[in-house]
Amino acid sequence: MNDFSEIENELRVLRPAQPSARLLESVARELEGPAKRAEAPGNVIQPNRFGLGWLSLGLGLAAAAAWLLLARVNHLDPTPSQTVATGSPASSTPAARLNSSQFIPAGASRVVYHTQDEGLLFPRGSGGPVRRVRSRARESLQWHNPETGASLRVSYPSEEVQFIPVPGQ
Amino acid sequence: MKDRKEVMENVATHENWKTCFSELAPGLVLFARQWVRSGADAEDVVQDAFVRFWRQNRNVDNRGLLYATVRSAALDLIRKDSRRARREAEAYSDTVQAIEPQFEGEDDSQRLLAGAINRLPHEQREVLVMKIWNDLTFAEIGEGLGISQNTAASRYRYALAALKKDLLPQ
Repeated sequence: MNDFSEIENELRVLRPAQPSARLLESVARELEGPAKRAEAPGNVIQPNRFGLGWLSLGLGLAAAAAWLLLARVNHLDPTPSQTVATGSPASSTPAARLNSSQFIPAGASRVVYHTQDEGLLFPRGSGGPVRRVRSRARESLQWHNPETGASLRVSYPSEEVQFIPVPGQ
Repeated sequence: MKDRKEVMENVATHENWKTCFSELAPGLVLFARQWVRSGADAEDVVQDAFVRFWRQNRNVDNRGLLYATVRSAALDLIRKDSRRARREAEAYSDTVQAIEPQFEGEDDSQRLLAGAINRLPHEQREVLVMKIWNDLTFAEIGEGLGISQNTAASRYRYALAALKKDLLPQ
């Protein structure tokens, strides 16, 4: 560290410029003014306003995508069955067609590929600051049809915001 | 003139926000200017952060948390308008050197030094600003930036080494 004492001394000679008088007046108005602003300014994102929103949006999109894909599988499936039915009437029964389009859940995964610490917030009514951590992930759901061996996989991006309390001083 | 460390110790326990703010404001504004493009924006950031912090804490015992609040307010400012603004700000902080720290009464050699500071990588410059002009310990810097004390110390040494190399006579 002694190697750097000379440069440290040179740096300490530099003095930061004084802020404008407007800054002190503005802070005084905020801290001492009669009409103090609300504890949480408008640009602070409240936890209950945000976290659930992304989660429900992601789940909603996943459900919609899964429903659309399953509906398409059901729609396309009867064509080959009908072809077979010309030669084999027994296989064209409604029960057989139902079995051949049954998909059962086979797995689910969630891979977080990015996590970002977005700094501190002071939520209204909270005892202390919280740290906002945003995670981006890719979630996948998989279904399998044991009758036909077919599998269906739905993959979608998701984003989650967590608010982690900062330990007290 | 009082020794700065003594002043800072008094500030840490003083309940009068004006005393605290007067002592800390120049360093806080310098710290905030690393992320925003103008001195006015930096002052807005410091105002927002200090007011929020003081209402919660009523003292500056935990200076690491105060600087974390300033950093967070600066990031909020560059993020709040739009994703485009955020991308620009991130690109700005990563590539172009951020706004020049403003120092009082710069002569030629001090201007060279200020220029060399601006050329430092962002993560080294913020540690340097916190250490030299805000007198934070490495533990406080680590808390403020969400990094370990050792990482803060390493970045500081890298910054000094880079400045020394940059300023060596050619």
